[in-house]
Amino acid sequence: MAVSIHAPRINNNDDQVKLIALDVAIGQKVDRGAVIGQVETDKAVVDIEAPAEGYVIGLQAEVDTMVEVGSILVWLGESADEVVPAAAAVETRAGQASGAPTAKARLLLKRHGLTADQVPAAGERLTAEDVEHYVAGKGGRTAQASGSPVATRIDRLPDVPGALRPLRPDERGMVNTVSWSRDFAVPGYIELEYDPQPWDAYAKDYADRHRLMLSPLLSLMAWRLVELARETPALNATHVGEQRYEYGEINLGFTVQAGETLYLTVLRNADTLDESGFVNAQGDIQRRAAGHRLVPAELQGATISFSSMARWKVSRHIPILPPHTALMVAHAVSADGRHVLGATYDHRVLNGFQVVNTLRKLSKPAVPDRKKENTQ
Amino acid sequence: MLFPIPGVERNEHGKPLIGLDDASLYAFGHLLRSTEQLILDLFSRGLLSGTTHTCIGQELCQMAVVRALDHEDDAVLSNHRNHGHYMTYSGDFLGLVAEVMGRKAGVCGGYGGSQHIAYRHFHSNGIQAGMTGIGAGLALARKRKDSPGIVTIMVGDGTLGEGLLYESMNLASIWNCRVLFVVENNGIAQTTYTSETLGGSIEARGQAFGLQTWRLNDADPEFSASVARVVAQVRESGRAGMLVIDTRRLGPHSKGDDLRADDEKAAIAARDPLAAIGRRLADSEREAIEARNTVFLARIEAEALASPEASFDAQRLHTFSPVSTTRIGSLQPAKASNVRLAINQALRTLLGGDERVLLIGEDLHEPYGGAFKVSAGLSGDFAGRVISTPISEAGITGASIGLALDGERPILEIMFADFLTLCMDQLYNHAVKFPGMFEDVKVPLLIRTPAGGRRGYGPTHSQNPENLFVSVPGLTVLFGSHRHNVGQLLVDAVQRWPNPTVFLEHKLLYGEAQDPADYELVAASPEDQGADLFPTLRRGADAPDVTLLSFGGMLPVVERAAKQLEEQEELAVEIVAPALLAPLPRGTLLDALLDRPRIVVVEESHHEFGVSAEILAMLAEAGFTGQVLRVGLAPVPIASARSLEREQIPDEQMIVASVLDLI
Repeated sequence: MAVSIHAPRINNNDDQVKLIALDVAIGQKVDRGAVIGQVETDKAVVDIEAPAEGYVIGLQAEVDTMVEVGSILVWLGESADEVVPAAAAVETRAGQASGAPTAKARLLLKRHGLTADQVPAAGERLTAEDVEHYVAGKGGRTAQASGSPVATRIDRLPDVPGALRPLRPDERGMVNTVSWSRDFAVPGYIELEYDPQPWDAYAKDYADRHRLMLSPLLSLMAWRLVELARETPALNATHVGEQRYEYGEINLGFTVQAGETLYLTVLRNADTLDESGFVNAQGDIQRRAAGHRLVPAELQGATISFSSMARWKVSRHIPILPPHTALMVAHAVSADGRHVLGATYDHRVLNGFQVVNTLRKLSKPAVPDRKKENTQ
Repeated sequence: MLFPIPGVERNEHGKPLIGLDDASLYAFGHLLRSTEQLILDLFSRGLLSGTTHTCIGQELCQMAVVRALDHEDDAVLSNHRNHGHYMTYSGDFLGLVAEVMGRKAGVCGGYGGSQHIAYRHFHSNGIQAGMTGIGAGLALARKRKDSPGIVTIMVGDGTLGEGLLYESMNLASIWNCRVLFVVENNGIAQTTYTSETLGGSIEARGQAFGLQTWRLNDADPEFSASVARVVAQVRESGRAGMLVIDTRRLGPHSKGDDLRADDEKAAIAARDPLAAIGRRLADSEREAIEARNTVFLARIEAEALASPEASFDAQRLHTFSPVSTTRIGSLQPAKASNVRLAINQALRTLLGGDERVLLIGEDLHEPYGGAFKVSAGLSGDFAGRVISTPISEAGITGASIGLALDGERPILEIMFADFLTLCMDQLYNHAVKFPGMFEDVKVPLLIRTPAGGRRGYGPTHSQNPENLFVSVPGLTVLFGSHRHNVGQLLVDAVQRWPNPTVFLEHKLLYGEAQDPADYELVAASPEDQGADLFPTLRRGADAPDVTLLSFGGMLPVVERAAKQLEEQEELAVEIVAPALLAPLPRGTLLDALLDRPRIVVVEESHHEFGVSAEILAMLAEAGFTGQVLRVGLAPVPIASARSLEREQIPDEQMIVASVLDLI
């Protein structure tokens, strides 16, 4: 019966030793006690002796490699033509069942709102490539759950020399937004002019009552939009499958330009606040955006949005819809003093009449409920 | 502020010069007693901060040894009952009274109170026997500088029950240095008589350790002169000694806890050695002394009352001294054939570059060469500076603190990190308290220790105890890996980081090649203490699906798990590996982690309440919204059998499975 010669443990602290010599060849006869090779640790070199007389029938390790203590180096047989015993079944620890998706594939399935059995696997396991291939084949028209760009990459570099620059997080976010709008939304745009006087008076009165240094006008208009969304759930919705998905909370997106960076800040659960709570929270978030101190939760998950370019005196701007939203209000004041309220909307969710109606209501403050405020 | 004491001259350091004549002894002894009575009176009037232990009845006992210390390097390490020692050492009556009152004029600005006083070479602390090892270290430091200074260590008979005292007596004996252990034997603890708590004889304890031993009685008329001869003999012999003084406590232990019978108290009063000296004086002389002491103390009381309440000029939020710019010797190479050699080379650089560097620990000498042979070859090349010690982890930690306090740079090796618990009192109550209380005091002590499992060493030789030590305020905990430049971490920790530091080395990494591979430095946030010197590393995807945060011996395991997740699960994996665990580089880690989608902290230690908990709490407080998970050791002892140990300590399969569960 064949016997095996193992890599010895030289001290308790080394689980591997280096095989530095193996002085036998297949077929060679060795005597019991003959030195057949040497192993080394960083402290010592130790001879390996044959435990019995026999013929070398198998060499299982290479010189100058690290070998595990206890692993087989050499097989000795009783005769030169004995065969090396079949290796004992090696314990394999539970791996992933064959056919199961890789973790990356699972992440992608979740992102696209797919299940594993919808997507065919090219190999044993469902891979990220399988999922991407499936999504691309469907024209990317799956219910995307977390707003990552789909099929926006052009992997071949242009022929003109240049350098690739990684995108900042806000730039990546813009790519996501544009890609979603291109691939999923069916955007329309409507605008109307309005008389600024009632809003200016209301904002001035509010500022006086709350002793504010800066005009709260835009925050108050955004709050009015939150109130309107509360009245009309379709404004705060998106399109999933063949149905309208009305959100259970109103997360107000509000654009803030901080230096070079354009943030779409998100005030979550805005509908749980009151007017002054909203204005304060909005002020806080704008201040922190200016200081680049927002946390990720404040930069994602908008369900309806408001954007003003009044400070740049443009006559019109047509915003791109943030992913999974149906309405973004665009406010502008042109150089000749025209005040404009516009809206980009997802025509799958809203029609023009609903949008015009909303803009008309937004063009002046709500009738103030003084009594309610006085009781606070 | 030192006020002139009537009838008493001072030396150049302000120490009172007290004669051996009856009038001088009575004058100072009476002043001690009157001050203690003033303190008790202030206590009754609600003007004291915390507790106090007076030496009423033991004045001569407390005076005699300190009085005889006449070299400027002489040190006094005292205990909870320290007022007599302190006043005799410093002559600073206002400093003491204001300190116990918690006033700004206190000798420690109100930080120490009655029990924790530091002034020149005087230190006291409320831990019984806690400073005795430190005393042995201070004495060794004096010996290394050829100073004849004596370190006196004051203990009561109650302290004879503490084991560290005996470790310290042994160290002082084998190191042949000038330590005088003074046992003030008043026969009673707080309320329990020593006869019920002490086996054997007190002097025999000293004799057993080879100390020259004396026993004196403070009621002996020649007592103070005899004590002076003992001190002179310790100085002359250059050896350690033990002096037992029989004395009696006239007052309570602290306040309101004197339960002794009236006739016993009457007998103690009749024995009162201070009163006996007073009776030897003419009435008129005695009354004149008492009258002038009364006037002096009235002034002290008025000054103390006039001093404002103690307040912080600026409250410190940490106690770490800044990085020093001094670097001695060349930089350590980033790559090394293994971590053991990298550390050995760093120790060689440190010893070669600075005479103050000492290696202290068990079995450091050739041919053994220290735990895991990390200090191999050093004892021969640096004779006298590689010190193999008795098996006394607490004692040698204390001694190392003493050496560090006196300007040496001790590097202490604890054979297994599991044994650090024996050093805990020395770290928690002493090493961090000196720099913690006094901004200008530094304790540049470094403790190296091998940690970790997967060796089959079992429950008490396999642990990663960093979770205990990161919570000690003011203690630095470093745990490098084979991806760090471990040698440079060690050199910088000793040369440029003058703070008490625990330097963990994982046993498994000693044989690993030291190689930064594809890791890069994470930019250190300027607000993080030490983060630049002890960097955090990272490798892997810039937009990872999962971030594995790990350190020390867990890193090779985490790398294998990452490989599996990348190759088999197609995940983008990032590894973040700090070396500095405390003070935690919070800003640095937040900058690196806050926008990550999933963070898994992997550690080998018992991780409940540990490093991972702190890191994840920090992320939660900062508004982290991703997913988190901890992988570590359950709160159970580590088994010896390798098969059992494998099931307990996280391996790559456990990490992979945890990540997959999370996703």
